[in-house]
Amino acid sequence: MNILIPHNWLLEHLQTEAKPSDIQRELSLSGPSVERMIEDGSQIIYDIEVTTNRVDSMSVRGIAREAAVILNQAGFKSKLLPLSINQLDTKEILPLPKITNQPELSQRVTCVVLKDVQRTPTPNWMGERLRQTEMNVHDAAIDITNYVTHELGHPCHAFDYDKLMATGGEIRVEEAKKGESFTTLDGESFVTVGGEVVFKNGKGKIIDLPSIKGTQNTSIDNRTKNVLLLLESIRADKVRFASMTHAIRTTAAQLMEKHVDPHLAEVVLKRGVELYQDLCQAELASPIFDEFHHPEPPLPAIVPLATFETYLGIKLTSEKITKILTMLECEVQIDQNQANIVVQPPTFRPDLKIPADIVEEVARIYGYHNLPSQLMPTAIPTTYPTNTDFNLEEKVKTFLSLVNWQEVYTYSLVSQELATESGLAAGRHLKLQNPLTEDRVYLRRSLFPSLKEAISQNPLKSRYSVFEMANTYIPQNNELPKEELKLGLASTQSAQNVRGVIESLLDHLFVDGYNFLVNKDKTSSQIYAISRGENNKYKLGTLVTKSGYCFAELNWKNILMVANSHPKYQAPSSTPSTVEELTFTISISQPVGPILETIKNVSPLISKVLFNNQYKQNISLSTIYHDPTKTLSALDIKPIRQKLVKKVELAHDAKLIGKV
Amino acid sequence: MTITELKTTIAQLKQSCLDDDSDIQTKKVSFLGKKGKFNLLAKNITKLSPKDRKKGGQLLNQLKTELEELVENSSLPKTTTWVDLSIPGKKPTVGHTHPISQAISQISHIFEKIGFTRVRYPEVDWDWYVFESLNMPKDHPARDEWETFFVDAPSHKDMGKLVLTTHTSNGQVREMERLKGKPPIRMINIARCYRRQQDATHTQMFHQFEGLVVDKGINIGHLKGTLDHFAKEFYGPGTKSRIRPFHFQFTEPSFEVDFSCHICSGTGKLGKNKCRFCKSGWHEVGGAGMVHPNVLKAGGIDPNEYTGFAFGWGVERTYSLKDDLNIDDIRLIYSNKASFLEQF
Repeated sequence: MNILIPHNWLLEHLQTEAKPSDIQRELSLSGPSVERMIEDGSQIIYDIEVTTNRVDSMSVRGIAREAAVILNQAGFKSKLLPLSINQLDTKEILPLPKITNQPELSQRVTCVVLKDVQRTPTPNWMGERLRQTEMNVHDAAIDITNYVTHELGHPCHAFDYDKLMATGGEIRVEEAKKGESFTTLDGESFVTVGGEVVFKNGKGKIIDLPSIKGTQNTSIDNRTKNVLLLLESIRADKVRFASMTHAIRTTAAQLMEKHVDPHLAEVVLKRGVELYQDLCQAELASPIFDEFHHPEPPLPAIVPLATFETYLGIKLTSEKITKILTMLECEVQIDQNQANIVVQPPTFRPDLKIPADIVEEVARIYGYHNLPSQLMPTAIPTTYPTNTDFNLEEKVKTFLSLVNWQEVYTYSLVSQELATESGLAAGRHLKLQNPLTEDRVYLRRSLFPSLKEAISQNPLKSRYSVFEMANTYIPQNNELPKEELKLGLASTQSAQNVRGVIESLLDHLFVDGYNFLVNKDKTSSQIYAISRGENNKYKLGTLVTKSGYCFAELNWKNILMVANSHPKYQAPSSTPSTVEELTFTISISQPVGPILETIKNVSPLISKVLFNNQYKQNISLSTIYHDPTKTLSALDIKPIRQKLVKKVELAHDAKLIGKV
Repeated sequence: MTITELKTTIAQLKQSCLDDDSDIQTKKVSFLGKKGKFNLLAKNITKLSPKDRKKGGQLLNQLKTELEELVENSSLPKTTTWVDLSIPGKKPTVGHTHPISQAISQISHIFEKIGFTRVRYPEVDWDWYVFESLNMPKDHPARDEWETFFVDAPSHKDMGKLVLTTHTSNGQVREMERLKGKPPIRMINIARCYRRQQDATHTQMFHQFEGLVVDKGINIGHLKGTLDHFAKEFYGPGTKSRIRPFHFQFTEPSFEVDFSCHICSGTGKLGKNKCRFCKSGWHEVGGAGMVHPNVLKAGGIDPNEYTGFAFGWGVERTYSLKDDLNIDDIRLIYSNKASFLEQF
């Protein structure tokens, strides 16, 4: 969360010898990060990121308080200036509304009535600061609340006192029921979902969305004369709930959802009154109402002094530690045996609870940049996870990319249309409860639809091949979904080319034996391989051809079972092989694969059968004969050749071209 | 001439044939031609004593065979055919690994060098691992439905809702469990993550890498050392890192990690102008911190005995800060556009 702080405004709370560039550097190193310095004429405005746990720094004064400590430590003499706010001289001229609070919904409600508020223009000095901090300028009566909030960090709201009294003069802090309507001060109407903390009047009508935005029926307008200045401290989670539900993300909501210190309300109220008196000549017309259910003071943190060295890697003296914590407004004691430091943080620092929180405060103010930098001298762990091999994943990706396949990363979340394209109904996928867009609703069970989409997004690419390694997600009853890592390949190339790439990849991974079993539908085949050693058969995946695409999805877990780090080496044979080419005419629907299998099984002397090419119904094959014990002669080969031709012709209705 | 002298001359001749870079024709003439070096030497046989002549003859025969072989293996004569070397090369068509894979590969190797073990944990995980065990209070904004994707499925009675991991930090307690709560731990977890946001700098799906180190005596200085190592290895020598205060629920202290800008060499200025690539000489890369004691406890590790640090950064952002990689719209990374991917 960022806040804009004009340098001049900061100097009303901070006395320092540091220059703006020093402030930027030192604050960023040890406190909130000054992301930019904006030049506005001769003035500097700091754009500062404040972390969500440090809502105490979300104001000019909050930044000044941090800066005073940090700059002093960095050697720039600095001081947080005291707030000079006069005691209020209260009178009872107008009655306060009746306030019925529920302490569990609001820790504090405090308010006061201001009479005869003049609608004077916002003075230039205030208007300029509001503009510099990107706030709209209206008139003083309206702008005072924004100004005070920015200066001190607790939102406050100005009600039109007369409108409020006309609705019954009552404020009830309640949770809204479902279906109640309200209109915000800018005229936008909403209906409650139930559970929002609202202010209601005696008749149950919503008269404010506290800590978020005022409603039209009670907020200041042009006719407002009397003001009820009110601060409340609604439960942080309730503020976020209402603000996010209705998308009303005001500064007030963003502050209050982060647990603003309710103690701050008093000083903010007084500062507001002071400005109404000064700028709008308002008269204080009621006593101050203040219902404050003080939170339990946080327990002090007890920190062993040794902890500082454990975290920082260097030893700081207890005096140094005490000094830093005291500057941060903590109460510090060192116990009798000098072993522990007892730290009571101020009320605006509820984030300081455990020893590590205290260590952080000391370390950051001491300066992280002042700590040494070195690698760990400790033991290197060697218990590695099983069933993963990241190097092999890299090897596969590199191989595929070098044989002209493009790696893509597609979304794991898909639309209903893509989900069902996997062949499984949408209901069999994990579905998001709160998708952001319609095209990312289901967790996919197949990579193919996404890969197909990736190809189609590149219409100028002919014969494009893409691959991805990613999870698919299979729902399980009451368990985590099964995440299966898949290697998906999709291409507009021929099935023969795609199969060739897969075969080549498996060879590259030293898979000993694999085969492609064609399914009955003839448009897909199952890929199997054997693991070395245990000799188990694993199904690696499926190769499918579908509407112009060829797609394969391989199960990575099973590839890991069959892949090897090295080949099964065979010494080169001392005897030569003989290669013979044969051409057969086959029938139109005759698959070639079984013919190759038939030939291979004819004789142990046939070491390999290769498919060369096919022209219409003619297929050309190469048969390789080899005997490791001797050189085969023409006489040795002739009977084998005769046998294989006969078998092929008989079993596959083929005809040899030429003579045996 | 003695037989020993002949042997020496033979050895010299063989060496000069080996050293001769001339083509086959030239060498044939100079070594084996009528007036070649071999014949010149062979004439010397008459200078040997009669009893050595037989031995000399054998040596010369052997030399001739060897010279013939050497000459045969010489380069072919230079042809005068003109080859146009000005024609651009014919490149084999290759694909490309995805930039995210390239980044992940570099990141993994940098950390593996200093003893980190890469792991993989679920992308869809229980609320317990993603939030609860990481010390995130129930009402923390990150846990609500505006920032996190929830799966439409019943909650687990102990583990809570099923969520899409918003960060790789779910790997922290899982890694402690894998090692049965027994450090040393040096983990690097790289995975897909999901957040409910989409604009030029956010995609619903992105990648993070998470480091976790737990052991006795691990301190902030060790985190700084690890960051410096990464900065130099990933962005090049001379790159510096720094940590600044930040806030995360699962680390205490927590830090924002910056690396010095390599474009302006960390000065924040390019000539007289401000460097437009960084914030005052630094790039914010991501978060880090000392592991919160509650997280160690959730992973079965005694925080009084062990300390640790963790960091988690977006792969996309970390990678795109490299020299010459100013990818200003992160959505391009997941656009599948060949014109984008083929540059990597």
